[in-house]
Amino acid sequence: MAVKAFSDEWATQFKDEVNRSSVYKSAAKGWKWTVGLVVEAEPDKNFPDAKGVVMDLFDGSARDIKVGPAAEAQKCDFVITAPYSRWKQVATKELDATKGMLQGKLKLKGDLPTIVRYTKASQEMTECTTRVPVEWPDEK
Amino acid sequence: MLGGLIEANVESRPEKRKDFDSLAARVGIFVTDIDEGVTLDFQRGHLVVHNGLEPKRDLTIRAEAGTVMNLSNLRIGLFGMPVYYDEVGRGVAAKLVGGKLRIDGLLGNLATLNTVTRIFSVAG
Repeated sequence: MAVKAFSDEWATQFKDEVNRSSVYKSAAKGWKWTVGLVVEAEPDKNFPDAKGVVMDLFDGSARDIKVGPAAEAQKCDFVITAPYSRWKQVATKELDATKGMLQGKLKLKGDLPTIVRYTKASQEMTECTTRVPVEWPDEK
Repeated sequence: MLGGLIEANVESRPEKRKDFDSLAARVGIFVTDIDEGVTLDFQRGHLVVHNGLEPKRDLTIRAEAGTVMNLSNLRIGLFGMPVYYDEVGRGVAAKLVGGKLRIDGLLGNLATLNTVTRIFSVAG
């Protein structure tokens, strides 16, 4: 059943997908930093308030993934920021996250060498988001 | 992003600083699946990043975004040579053989390519 985009239910399903992925488990071995996704508001897309996704990732598993205020996500070790519609493009495979970062469509804050070292893990994490069936607010 | 990666690498790793300070070359990187490129103008301890491919390049690397990222994940082995026999290295070599990674100007600039690879590498 589809869940509302960037809701608590979405976060739970996303976490389950990450923890089910053997690819992620092996590619993210040694990862020990928090990652925040800032989803910027787009009122014209029926997404009126910015949200933050805080991901506590450790050594190949997701210990916790929570949705809350954008300010919480901005405190993470790595922060990726984009407007709602860009994240939707990522989650629906319209935009590859690696390409998005190279093009500056997804803004990354944090130690670049570390995140580049874990490119495969971040690609698999993106794959995990695409496996969560989502009800998008601009498609209502 | 590529400029930022080089900056972070050079600041945190003294051996990369040495390579960076010695390198004088113009290197183009064209990401084929987004149809965008940059020119990295290394000027012995100074880097100017131009959007797009500028003329008079010594080397031009053309590959998809994922392959460009994989180039940064090449391990550096003995004598400062990139390692092409592990999983990442074999993947890069396969792209080169299959024509999905093209390096123009390689002839005569192999040492430059190795230096650039060392500066880019986040893996070792």
